[in-house]
Amino acid sequence: MGLETFAYPFLFVAIFVESFILVTLLSKPAREARARTLNTTIPTVAVIVPCWNEMTTLASTCESLLALEYPKEKLEIILVNDGSTDATSSVMQKFAHHPHVRIIHKENGGKHTALNAGIAATQAEIVGCLDADSFVEPDALREIVACFVDANVAAATAAMSVHRPNNILQYMQNAEYTFGISLRHSLSSLNGLYVTPGPFSFYRRSIVNELGGFRYGHQTEDMEMALRIQQAGYKIENAPRARVYTKAPDTLFKLIKQRTRWTSGFLRNILGEYRGLIGSYKHGTLGMLVLPSALLSIGSGIMLFSIVLFKIVQHASAAIEIRAGIPLSYAILPHGSFDWFYFPASVYLLLAFTTMLASFTLITIGKNISKTPGNLPFSIASYALLYAFIAPLWLIRATSDVARGKRRGWRY
Amino acid sequence: MPLAARNALIALGITIALVSTVAYAINYLNQARITEISAIQDKISIEILSLDTQFSLLTAAPCDSTASSTTLTGELADLGTRLAYTENQLGSDNPQVLQLKNQYSLLEIRDYLITKQLAAACGAKPPVMVLYFYSNAGDCDDCDKAGYALSYLRDTYPKLRVYSFDYNLDLGALKTLIQVTKVQDSLPAFVINGKVFYGFTSLADLEKQFPKGALATSTAKL
Repeated sequence: MGLETFAYPFLFVAIFVESFILVTLLSKPAREARARTLNTTIPTVAVIVPCWNEMTTLASTCESLLALEYPKEKLEIILVNDGSTDATSSVMQKFAHHPHVRIIHKENGGKHTALNAGIAATQAEIVGCLDADSFVEPDALREIVACFVDANVAAATAAMSVHRPNNILQYMQNAEYTFGISLRHSLSSLNGLYVTPGPFSFYRRSIVNELGGFRYGHQTEDMEMALRIQQAGYKIENAPRARVYTKAPDTLFKLIKQRTRWTSGFLRNILGEYRGLIGSYKHGTLGMLVLPSALLSIGSGIMLFSIVLFKIVQHASAAIEIRAGIPLSYAILPHGSFDWFYFPASVYLLLAFTTMLASFTLITIGKNISKTPGNLPFSIASYALLYAFIAPLWLIRATSDVARGKRRGWRY
Repeated sequence: MPLAARNALIALGITIALVSTVAYAINYLNQARITEISAIQDKISIEILSLDTQFSLLTAAPCDSTASSTTLTGELADLGTRLAYTENQLGSDNPQVLQLKNQYSLLEIRDYLITKQLAAACGAKPPVMVLYFYSNAGDCDDCDKAGYALSYLRDTYPKLRVYSFDYNLDLGALKTLIQVTKVQDSLPAFVINGKVFYGFTSLADLEKQFPKGALATSTAKL
């Protein structure tokens, strides 16, 4: 029995989850969500921008908010300076003359405290968050607000993609984010979301207050809030055409740091306070499928990576060993012409290929649903080349951090 | 039935169908490999039989025959490479692989004998022939290295005849060959023009075991 035999159950589950997402995308609730029309009733909305040393991107973020197609008398933009030590404060002041922009300065206390300060300062029915490194399309808010028709909807998420990807790492993340559009849209139709991302997620203020506002949430306040909403029995919706673009880490170090925070936050939340949601029949798709799959995906990511790495090292060392002493002109060149006979197909490789193909399909669907512009082929190529080798790095780091009780700083 | 449960059942059906298709495709590919090897073996078998028959018919003047085993040796080498790849894919204990290896070994022995007979009958200098005995039962650490070195020598010196045998194969003719050549169970083992050598350290050391000038043929190096 080869080592790759251990990978078969994980690949089976991966294909099952991807098939489930695809089938759910074709189901009636998802189709109806895509056909959702914009509201005729316009609720009051406050968009909170928590800022800590965001002088470089804050102005563009504010400009995109000011360009939102939403009645100005119903829209508040609340800029919360969470004790920045750079020129964030002076950038904020440039927008102070807009009548619907409010600025709050406070001592540094973390993103959750900035959000709570913004919520406390408004009476708007719907409150939302936009990270200061993100930018929105003008129609995004109308799309989001349409999700709140059902009084049981506590939150709604947008369709995120990477803002102006500039290198292969950012293109890879763009494909991943676009995959996330399909994933979120599919799972939201079964109320299976467990995170309301910082870029342009909105909440019914009354429910947020009822639940006690934002918490630290192991540095993932958006995930913690989503889990609390689910635990309380409310719904989290998704607006697949509400496009928001966020700055993605441009170096491997920054990316791993960011994702380690996300993954360790997920593990700490889900294995801690929200452990009861796992396997909970009462919480339907979230409890029975989404959370167990998310946990399994961390284990399988690490395991598959370890198997592939072991096989690569094993083959490479064997190849080098048997070629020792043989002239390089012979040893490094391939011999013979292409012959189907030697096509390196195996059950393991074909199942991995099937998983990848399903991912590419979901990425393409995500782009089409959200009508997100951009170079998708290059994003998919970057994703195919890098993701399977990079993602396990933060999965291993985060799992190790949680196991050892190690906590890291926020900023990447 | 709740929508999520219905979708999960459909997804499970799709997954089982996909995994089954993949397993079927791989099995089909492996069977196609075995079929191809069988076809090549049948072809070589007929050609060797034909050569053997010609040799018998022309006992008085066997060198008048236009037949030659040179091309057969090339085909045998290709067959050996394919068989080794298939063995690697399906496992060395696969019954079909074992059957093919038995047939392949018989063809090698037959080619070896005919080459020797032709050279003797025609009074020509026989080609340098190497009988290589290996084991893939996990008891021969240097067999992979030795096999690769011999592949290099065979590709570099096309007139070199290399015949590879799995020492542990349960085949009467092979056991007789092992008995005749007096090869012990200490692998890898080489019989070069009738002389037995054991072990593999390096290509250079292996080359030293060949008769002087045997590898300095007129054939240019690749």
